[in-house]
Amino acid sequence: MTPDSPIKLVSELLDLPLYDNEGKYCGIVDDVELSGGPGKPLKLKALLVGPGAYAGRMPEWAMKLVKLMAGDRITRVPMEKVRTIGTAVHLECPGRALGLYKSETAAGHWIPEGGAL
Amino acid sequence: MNPLELTLGIMTAVGGFVDISELVFAAKAGSTFGYALIWVFAISTIGIIVFSEMSGRVAATAKQPVFNLMRHRLGLKLGLVTLAASVIANLITCAAELGGVALVLNYLTGAPYMLMAVATALAFVLSIWVLPFQWIERTYGLLGLFMIVFAAALIAIHPPWHQIAGGFVPHVPAGLSTKELLKFGYFVVAIVSAVMFPYEVYFYSSGGIEEDWGPKQLLTNRMTAILGMGLGSLLAISILSNSAQLFGPANVDPSLPGTAALEAAIPFGKWGLILALLGMFFAIAGAAVETCLANAYSIAQFFGWIWGRHKKPWEAPRFTITWIVLFALALLIVLTGVDVMVLVEFAILFSILVLPLTYLPLLLLAEDKKYMREYVNGPVSKTLGWFYFGVITLAAVAALPLYFLTSGGNG
Repeated sequence: MTPDSPIKLVSELLDLPLYDNEGKYCGIVDDVELSGGPGKPLKLKALLVGPGAYAGRMPEWAMKLVKLMAGDRITRVPMEKVRTIGTAVHLECPGRALGLYKSETAAGHWIPEGGAL
Repeated sequence: MNPLELTLGIMTAVGGFVDISELVFAAKAGSTFGYALIWVFAISTIGIIVFSEMSGRVAATAKQPVFNLMRHRLGLKLGLVTLAASVIANLITCAAELGGVALVLNYLTGAPYMLMAVATALAFVLSIWVLPFQWIERTYGLLGLFMIVFAAALIAIHPPWHQIAGGFVPHVPAGLSTKELLKFGYFVVAIVSAVMFPYEVYFYSSGGIEEDWGPKQLLTNRMTAILGMGLGSLLAISILSNSAQLFGPANVDPSLPGTAALEAAIPFGKWGLILALLGMFFAIAGAAVETCLANAYSIAQFFGWIWGRHKKPWEAPRFTITWIVLFALALLIVLTGVDVMVLVEFAILFSILVLPLTYLPLLLLAEDKKYMREYVNGPVSKTLGWFYFGVITLAAVAALPLYFLTSGGNG
C-alpha cells in the first residue's frame, strides 16, 4: 500500500510502528493530521508521533498520566516522507532528519556508556 | 534446531513457572487438598503453552511483540487501561519475587531480610546492565534447574503414584463443606493466575524479538513452549505432591516459601535443603528479572520507545531508565515491610484481572492473515485459544468474590 491508496484510518494506520529508511525503529503513529473541509476531499497530510498526540484520543485525566510517564512531545511526519504503509509504516528518509529521536537522545544523557557486554 | 535456543523456554518455564506464587500455592494446595488440584496445574499448563506458542509465533511472523499489537488492536484508551493494570500487576509480582529472593538469602545466610532485599535489587540491576539478553536467560534459566531436586525428592519418598495419577483427572473432592468448596474455588483461580501470569507472555514474545526469531524458529518456538512449560509444570506438581504426602497428614501449613524447601530436606538431608534453596533462589530471581523486564518491555512498546536488552543500555536509554526505576519501585515496596505473602496474594489477584485483556488481542492477531500469512492460527490453536480465553474470563470474574469470601484462601 502506498500513501496515495485509500486507507481505513483507524483500523489500518493508527498505532502502527514506524521505521525509517535505515530500518531504525522511530516510534508509533499516534495520530494523523488531515486537510480538507466541507465539499473538499479529505486528505492525509501528516502522521503525528509522540505521546503529546494522544490528546485528541483520550480524556484529560489519562493525558496527565501519560505526560507523567512519557512526556508530551509531538513530532510531525509529512506524508511525502512516507514510503509504504502495511503492517508497519516505512519512511523514505532517516528519522533524525524529521526530529524523531529527540526524546531518546535526551534520555541518553542520563545513561553512562560502559560496563555492558 | 539449535539446542541453545531451547533455553528461552526453559527459563520461561523454570523462572516464570516456578516463581514465588507457584511455590506457595503448590505447597499450600497439596497440604490443604491433597492431590485434588493437580488437574488445575495440568490444564493451566496447556493454556500457557497455547498462548506462549501463539505469542512466539506472532513475534516470529509479524516481528512485533504483544504490547505493540495490543495497542493497535484494543485502541489507545483500552490499551492504556491494560498497560496501567498490567504494570501494577507486574510491579507487585516483581516486588513479591524480590522479597522471595531476599527471604531465601535470609534462610541461606542468616543476614537481615531488608539488607538482602537491597543487595538483591542491586545485583539484579547489575546483571541486566552487564549481561546481554541471551546470557541473562541462560544464567538464571540453567541455574534454576536446581529445582529438579523437588522431582527427585518426590521419587525418593515413594508417593502413592495412583493417587497422583488420579489428580490429573478434573474433579472436586467429595464431602467438602460450602466454606471448603469456596476455598477450593479460590485455589483453582489462584493456580490459573499463577500459571498463566501475563508477564510470561510479554517476556516470551519480547524475548523472541530480542533473539530475532523468524519463521525458521517456529518449530523451536513450539518445542520450547511445550518442553519448557511442561518441565515447569512437572516441578510445580512435584512440589504439590510432596506437600500432599509430607505436610498434609502432619497438618503443616506451608505458607512461607522456606517450608517448601523442607520437602527436599526430608529425603536428602542438608544437601537436599541447600539444593532446594539454591533452586528456589535462581528460579525466583529469574522470575524477578522477567517481571521487571516484561514491565519495561510493555511500557516501551506501548509508547514506541527503542527497547530490548540485545542493545547496549545506552542504545535504548528510556527502556534502561524504565527497568531501573521499576526495580527501585519494587524494592521500595519490599522496604515498606509488607509481608511477602500479602504481595503474592495481590500479585495473583491483579494478574487474573488483567489476563483476559492480555490474551484477547493476541488471539485476534494470531487469527489475522494480514499479519500472520500462512502461520495464522489453525483449528487446534483457535479452538484451544478461545477455550482458554473463556477459562481465564471466568476466573477473572470469580477472583474478587472468592478472594473476599475466603479471606484470600485463609478463611
